[in-house]
Amino acid sequence: MSTGNDRSTGNDIVALAATDEDRTSRPRFYSRILTPAELSLYDELTGEGLSFSSFVWLMWSIKESVYKYVSRAEPGLRFAPLKIPVTSLRRREDHYSGMIGYGPLTLYSRTFLADETIMTVVSAQEDFSNVHWGLRRIENPDYSTQSALVRTFALQSLSMVLPGAELRIIKSPDGPPEVWDGEHRLHMPLSLAHHGPYVAWSYRLPANSSSYRKSAANRAASSHLRRVNLLEITGLKRSCSSCEYSS
Amino acid sequence: MERRAILDELKKVLYPYTEEKEQLQNIDENTALVKDLKINSANLVDIIIDAEAKYNIEIDFDSAEKIISVGDCINAIAEKIPE
Repeated sequence: MSTGNDRSTGNDIVALAATDEDRTSRPRFYSRILTPAELSLYDELTGEGLSFSSFVWLMWSIKESVYKYVSRAEPGLRFAPLKIPVTSLRRREDHYSGMIGYGPLTLYSRTFLADETIMTVVSAQEDFSNVHWGLRRIENPDYSTQSALVRTFALQSLSMVLPGAELRIIKSPDGPPEVWDGEHRLHMPLSLAHHGPYVAWSYRLPANSSSYRKSAANRAASSHLRRVNLLEITGLKRSCSSCEYSS
Repeated sequence: MERRAILDELKKVLYPYTEEKEQLQNIDENTALVKDLKINSANLVDIIIDAEAKYNIEIDFDSAEKIISVGDCINAIAEKIPE
């Protein structure tokens, strides 16, 4: 099965307090996001304790993440959630793993839920190798603050992977965010998301980046960044060494 | 219904979903919902449903997918309102 290219990344976050649970549960709403086949995925999750409205937003976050992943190579693509089919969704120990067949692409998703938030990251690789992501809660949820802080936190994360680099994030009005080192654009896809009091990011390191990861591990050990298990903040758990959750 | 009248009514639909209240009063058909009005994409379905309720119409999925700008919204509404 095709795993598509691995030169992109996509993520999304939903702050559940900013959604309307009653409206989300009405067919008029969710039928604009979910196909009948996707609705049946919820039936397969019976007993998992997932509310229907959370399921709808989980699926939305997967589709939005896929849209971001794909639109990097297809500028001008319009977000059409019904045309992004989620073909499977399984409960894992600390996340939901999904599979998406989008045209010739097969993508994989990991979604982390808590009482307050839903965060998804997608990858062309099922093991999410070289994919890093993170989430932070912020005090002021206005748009300009969200936009500024998600860049700040993403740069903090990137600086651990690329110590010494003069990192900047540049985003054109219609394009995805780009990571630059000084005057050089890095081939490191980055995705940013914010909703309500949450901001999140994902990026993918080049496949030959073992030295980056080694540097990251060394720096992480001595980092002055306060790393807090997300369980303490939002009820989420860390799922791997690539994710970071801080407050 | 003239497009100008739809645009004026549309401002009321968009109002709860944008922080850019001042800019909302000066929108035109080229104004982008997400990029210019900073509306979160998670609210786009809300806006479609609110517009449907306001005009007692049903915006089909194809039309909804094309909505990026205020002009797209007006197109989707205008084609469903009886002459």
